[in-house]
Amino acid sequence: MAGLVKCARTLLSAPGVTRCILPRLSAAALVNYKHNAKQLHSCTVSSQILSLMIPGIQQSFVRTYSGKPPLTIKMVEERVLLVLRLYDKIDPYKLSVDSHFMKDLGLDSLDQIEIVMAMEDEFGFEIPDSDADRLMTPKDIVQYVCDKEDVYD
Amino acid sequence: MSSFRSKVLSLYRNLIRESKKFNSYSYRTYTLEKVKYEFRENKNVMDAVKLSQLIKKAEDNLQMIRRQVIVGELYGEGHLVIEHHQEKKG
Repeated sequence: MAGLVKCARTLLSAPGVTRCILPRLSAAALVNYKHNAKQLHSCTVSSQILSLMIPGIQQSFVRTYSGKPPLTIKMVEERVLLVLRLYDKIDPYKLSVDSHFMKDLGLDSLDQIEIVMAMEDEFGFEIPDSDADRLMTPKDIVQYVCDKEDVYD
Repeated sequence: MSSFRSKVLSLYRNLIRESKKFNSYSYRTYTLEKVKYEFRENKNVMDAVKLSQLIKKAEDNLQMIRRQVIVGELYGEGHLVIEHHQEKKG
């Protein structure tokens, strides 16, 4: 909602525009507020509406918060499998959630380290050596990432 | 042997981690590829003397990479054209 307030303020400074925009703006704000409980989205949506109403004004109201989009176990699993599929030494057809990197996919310990490093890049946190040694299947990685990111559903 | 094993694996991890910090595209890709290549070349070495020599070499290079990353940050030369392209895409 903070974004909307800011939009309204910038508009108010442009004389003439205010009168016709304001009622519609507040209506839009109400709709947004009802339908979009998540503040992040309402900022972007409201700025889109504004730029539709006033073609001349081009502003980006997208705020970059430090938070990440919410994760689910399903999403984590998809991302893990995507990274693994893109890894050139893994045959995408053999890959499943339960396949063991060394026994089923024929990788060595160096490959396993590279995979863990790729997961660090993908999910943006560091995995300590002691934990990295235990991650032997995609399922382990999904479980580990979910534990670290507090994902339970 | 297992002490060698964990040492080598942790060196491999650290070398990759530090190499990724290079500002310069060519240094970064070169060190990453070189580290991976060298470890794979020597993955079947079983001789203890040879192993300790290689570990010493890796440790020296790790220190060197750490230094050079800092030097690279001090005298950065900006991104290459391909990197700009990648940023726009991703």
